[in-house]
Amino acid sequence: MIEVDRPPREGPDSCREAAPPSFFQRKKKGMKRFIIKRFLLMGVTLLGLTIVVFIVSRVAPGDPARLAAGPDATEEMVQVISKEFGLDQPLVIQYGKYIRGLVQGNFGRSIRTRHEVWDDIKTFLPATIELVLISICLATFLGILFGVLSAVYRDTWIDHILRFFTVTGVAVPMFWLGIMLQLLLAAKFHFLPIGGRLDTIVTPPEAITRFFLIDSLVTGNGKVFFNALAHILLPAVVLSFPALASIARINRAEMLEVLHRDFILNEKAQGISKGLIIRKYALKNALIPTLTMIGLRYGWMLGGTIVVEMVFDWPGIGNYAVAAAVYSDFQPVMAVTVVLGLNFMIANLLVDLGYGYLDPRVRYE
Amino acid sequence: MKRVRGSTIWAFAVIILCVIIAAPAHSYEKRDGKKILIFGGRQPAPNIDPSQYYDWSARMLQQSLYDALLKYVGNPPKVVPWLAKSWKKSKDGMVWTFELVRNAKFHNGDPVTAQAVKWSFERTLALKKGPAWMLMEFLDKEGIRAVDDYTIEFRLKRPYAAFEMALPWWYIMNPKVVMANEKDKDFGQGWLKDHDAGSGPFRMKRWEHGVLYEVEAVEDYWRGWENPKHIGGFIYRIIRESSSLKMALEKGELDALEGLNSDDFDLVAKNPKVYVTNDPGWTTFGLKMNCQKGYTKDINIRKAVCYAFDYPSMIKIYNGNAILEDSPFPKGMKGYLPVSNVYRQDMKKAKEYLAKAGYPNGGFELEYVYVQALEEERQIGLVLLDNLSKLNIKLKIVPLVWPNMVARASKVETSPDLMAVFTTPIMDDPDVVASQYHKVSWGKYYGSHFYQNEKVWDLIDKARFTVDWPERQKLYEQIQVQIMEDAPELFGMLFNRRWAFRSHVKGFVFSPVRFTGEIDMYPLYIDD
Repeated sequence: MIEVDRPPREGPDSCREAAPPSFFQRKKKGMKRFIIKRFLLMGVTLLGLTIVVFIVSRVAPGDPARLAAGPDATEEMVQVISKEFGLDQPLVIQYGKYIRGLVQGNFGRSIRTRHEVWDDIKTFLPATIELVLISICLATFLGILFGVLSAVYRDTWIDHILRFFTVTGVAVPMFWLGIMLQLLLAAKFHFLPIGGRLDTIVTPPEAITRFFLIDSLVTGNGKVFFNALAHILLPAVVLSFPALASIARINRAEMLEVLHRDFILNEKAQGISKGLIIRKYALKNALIPTLTMIGLRYGWMLGGTIVVEMVFDWPGIGNYAVAAAVYSDFQPVMAVTVVLGLNFMIANLLVDLGYGYLDPRVRYE
Repeated sequence: MKRVRGSTIWAFAVIILCVIIAAPAHSYEKRDGKKILIFGGRQPAPNIDPSQYYDWSARMLQQSLYDALLKYVGNPPKVVPWLAKSWKKSKDGMVWTFELVRNAKFHNGDPVTAQAVKWSFERTLALKKGPAWMLMEFLDKEGIRAVDDYTIEFRLKRPYAAFEMALPWWYIMNPKVVMANEKDKDFGQGWLKDHDAGSGPFRMKRWEHGVLYEVEAVEDYWRGWENPKHIGGFIYRIIRESSSLKMALEKGELDALEGLNSDDFDLVAKNPKVYVTNDPGWTTFGLKMNCQKGYTKDINIRKAVCYAFDYPSMIKIYNGNAILEDSPFPKGMKGYLPVSNVYRQDMKKAKEYLAKAGYPNGGFELEYVYVQALEEERQIGLVLLDNLSKLNIKLKIVPLVWPNMVARASKVETSPDLMAVFTTPIMDDPDVVASQYHKVSWGKYYGSHFYQNEKVWDLIDKARFTVDWPERQKLYEQIQVQIMEDAPELFGMLFNRRWAFRSHVKGFVFSPVRFTGEIDMYPLYIDD
């Protein structure tokens, strides 16, 4: 929908400019510095995040060693675990060790399960990312489509139906929607599976990217691919629903505003086709606030998957974090927070870069 | 708009295609001609090392992968010989000698010898984790001796009558396999948490953390199979939402499940292709009262609360699938005695005790703490709130997550006035229940009462070290009566253990000494 080789035209003013430099030429120099700066800033933010998460997890009531040792453990047994995981040391030293580990890419070990947290993240994060990516694509595609249709056919029945849909989307709680769709499509009509990433009896494809959809395609296993697709459909739809609704709403509002600008009138007068005006001139201008919303929603989805993962037994990072939190198992919770925080920051960076792409007036100095 | 329309059509085509593919008609799963049972449970089992950890889900897998010297079977639970074919104890209860079967094999073919038994016990004792607490006080490394390849002797530090009752939970591991995977002198802990070094009826097949655990039957299991139609393996599938569990069973994606609430179990039981078991369990439910702080420090207040409560309402909350406790010990357990001084609702007596405590007109508030999202506990709290309001006592109902409850229960100062607690005795011996009222339980979640009665403590100690059963039994009778008298707890009820099975699953044997969701998979078979 968007072409890379030509700068977007803003309207009559920008039309007068003669052959402006291409996007990459224009932004290259400033962008490099901008990205480096942002990455440095990310490091600082991450450090702050670890401090907050560390402190919050330690001041929370609960004795992880006691919980890990089991209900009948003697004091001596609790001490054994406490010592093994360094919980008997002062907080500052514990934090120092934690940061040293992080720098080396070591997230520590779960006190309850003894698993290396990094191994767990590698297992569970791809499931979440796969779900979130499919959801965000779904939400973006349908959200923009609905927003445009709603704006173009303003106050007709199309607009009314879509607006009803989007209001509901923002208002309906995800777990409710999830359970209802599950009841209807999985339990009642047996169209789709109830939960999980694959049928119980199906063995997952060889772990290459750990995205089942991609891995199954790469290994040429069609049966697993469709099985995975059937499983991801419901959770992805449910997860995308609130995002889809808010993207559609904001896109509709922006489109309406843009469609009433003078340059659109001018283009209409010049006899440019309606489709072209909408796609190339109106939509592109309306996309900037929409892009902000997509970025926000991506971050929100990463956190919001917990509910969806719970309902659909999606073996992702949300379920993992909840299971750990219930037992005051700090390491996984901290690791998940850091990883999700990082994801969110990267998403924001991409959004900022996207602004420059969509709006030639944005400079990265 | 052409491109848009094209991709929409494409998307629909894909959806329809996968809908067609993903709608199989389920009965049970088959793999290589073997019938695979699919079990749905709400709790993962990330660590199944028998020396490190146990809870119901971990133990269900441990029991499938490993054998112990003895095994609990049936209701009332009997201890039957397993890896040990016979055993004897010395008169003073200090020396126990076990004769092992000769044909037992680990999954890699190694024989199960006395040396392996000795090593397994030593490992658990040395790690000081999981089941170690059961025997730490009585047994050390020096006390274990392999007399010959098939005879093992335990010399206890002090007599322990319940020694044999603990043994079914001490699984025997293959030392060679474990030590071959040792890393940083960790006794193989890192490896064994999700690997198998056992001799049990099943061996590990597929382990997907957070998703499922699959085991397959050992066809030439040394003990053989009772039924030729025995399951060819089972898949433990983790399903966290009870609504999803229920749907999966009804749809036929599951053959068995645990963990529904009473209403849901009653609902699935109406399905003609499903049956639901219903057996009285040993998990006691009670409200522990802080005996050392606040209003409940006064025994008269505690008794007033005990007399004010409407006990049968608990049975209603469980749709009739529970019985009231009439002793601190669960009904059916060894040494259990229905005591005569049990409390039932009597508002007159409640008022009398309140007056004795110096609060004839009530006028104070108690705190009731329960596990967040446990609906039954919340409802029981509401019943108590209603009952106590008639004495002009207010009840503050506080839901807490489990770690916070454990934290609050660990100290006298923070332990709440009333705490709703379930406890499951781990072996068929009254000592495990009695010791919940001993000082040793202070700081643990079930010791949140901080009950203090030296006389009872002495009796508990004495009973533990007494070998002669009739003599012990008398001691436990006294203990039960005295604990009831002191009312450190509002003794509630025992709810029924329930599982739901598709009708083709047969052979289920209930044993109350197993944990809440745990099934012994060995006797199960599938028959249409």
